[in-house]
Amino acid sequence: MLLVSSLSYAQNTPSERDEIQQLVQQVAALQERVRLLESQQAANSASTTDGTAQAVSTPTAQTAPNDALPPSIPESLHELHGIQWRGFGEVDYKVLNQRTPELGTYGFVPGSHGDFYTGDFELLLTARINDKASVLSEIVFEEQDAQKFGVDLERVLLKYDYNDHLRMSFGRYQTGIGYYNTAFHSGSWLQTTADRPLIMEFADDGGLLPTQAIGLSFTGAIPSGGLDLNYIAEYGSSDTIRPELNGNVFEDENNGNHVNVGLFARPESIPGLQVGASIYHDQISDFTQGPTVRLGQTIVNGHIVYVRHGIEFLNEGFLIRHAYDQNATVFNMPAFYSQISKQFGRVRPFFRYQYINANPGSLFRDVDLRYGPSFGARYDFDDFIAFKAQLDQTERKGQADLDGLHFQLAFTF
Amino acid sequence: MQTKLIVGWIAIFLAGLAGFSSAAAQTGSVAVVVNEKNPVKNLSTPELRKLFAGEKHDWAGGLPVKLFVRAPGAYERVVLLKLLGMSESEYKRYWAAQVFRGEAQAEPVALFSNGMQREAIVLYPGAVALVNVQDIKLGMKVVKVNGHMPAEAGYSF
Repeated sequence: MLLVSSLSYAQNTPSERDEIQQLVQQVAALQERVRLLESQQAANSASTTDGTAQAVSTPTAQTAPNDALPPSIPESLHELHGIQWRGFGEVDYKVLNQRTPELGTYGFVPGSHGDFYTGDFELLLTARINDKASVLSEIVFEEQDAQKFGVDLERVLLKYDYNDHLRMSFGRYQTGIGYYNTAFHSGSWLQTTADRPLIMEFADDGGLLPTQAIGLSFTGAIPSGGLDLNYIAEYGSSDTIRPELNGNVFEDENNGNHVNVGLFARPESIPGLQVGASIYHDQISDFTQGPTVRLGQTIVNGHIVYVRHGIEFLNEGFLIRHAYDQNATVFNMPAFYSQISKQFGRVRPFFRYQYINANPGSLFRDVDLRYGPSFGARYDFDDFIAFKAQLDQTERKGQADLDGLHFQLAFTF
Repeated sequence: MQTKLIVGWIAIFLAGLAGFSSAAAQTGSVAVVVNEKNPVKNLSTPELRKLFAGEKHDWAGGLPVKLFVRAPGAYERVVLLKLLGMSESEYKRYWAAQVFRGEAQAEPVALFSNGMQREAIVLYPGAVALVNVQDIKLGMKVVKVNGHMPAEAGYSF
């Protein structure tokens, strides 16, 4: 019962929590008192019957708890059985300085400046099968046009942790290209900003990278002393249909199987710092030139991240290389973003700068060159509800600047 | 255009470096305790940090790590948050993210007394917890931190 109280602690209001905590502490103190009295009583009775027994019984008293099941923490309540649920949701309002919608604005109605939308509503389901194996699935209800919603199985993974050096996942995962995709996945509540950097946007929202795949993923620690080196290796299919940013054209990249390998270090001497790099490769089609026109896609990432003491400092750089098989055409397209934020009480102001330089002759012609800052703040009402306000300014080559104001209420339950 | 780009990035980088240099001092008299069957004798501060951040899942020998922490308001909780460099809300968000990433099944169980921590330590062979040295009881095995026991000079945890 005590444990049930502790597990439900976070779901109560602060005043209820205090009251429950006081009551539980009182009960715990009383339990300790009863236990002490019982042990004293037992010791007294033992010394009464046999004066030498007390010394003999002392080591027994030390080892007895190892074999007995303590009454206040039943084992059945400590183990998480069945399916664990967690939900993430958001309500957004975004206004632009133009009437032409761009992707990432969800239910944005052409001809209007601004719109409300609900973004993604997610259900995260996890279940432990045994000490080594578990299942994770992430089901997303995503808003589409005219208040219609589609269901997307963002992740479904059978996970097997052999040890800290080999942890395997089988199923649909979010590719380990860089830091952001694996750190925040698709939960708006988890991320500081109201949206993802464009380079890390999901492909079905116009993002450039193959952010999801079906296949095998391996990760683990590499014995490396204080460097704390870790690896990630993935092999799978990240077949992607990417809508252009104007939403009018859908590019089926028809990806072949991909290989993605990465290394990242978390030096023990600088807690909170992570430095890493990854390289991804697959073959895709350029349907604008015909489905048989294939090209090699290689994505190199490097990142430096520091998250500690309320500071979040994210830096990622990318080089996307498209090399056509039929001719010598090669496009090298760099991109990066930097984001910094600092927690001050309940408020976390943030600043982000992003840059993408896609070649106008490439598959990403709709993106072209665009860059600019975003700034705003996140306010956490409590541990479950956050409000974010974000101002974006994006300069676009050959087009007018795109400015936006984005409000978001993000929550978890 | 390129000048604006470079200036913008440098501004972010310098701001990050400024915040990066801040650090919190850690003092106190809290012991790291494990089950008596656990063979571990010594842990470094970085190892402790990895343990309580959920980054280390197994003890040497393959015994699964089972984390127990004190509920908010306890002194051990303050020490835990200092160790991790997080505020209470950041701790909650961190574990929500760990679950979301599939790195953990749930946030570590928060217990309301060191008596309950003792019971948990006794019950689970892989259990580890932070306990005020005044509350160390039979059944708890105290682990050295950076080569020092709590009562020894040089113990800084």
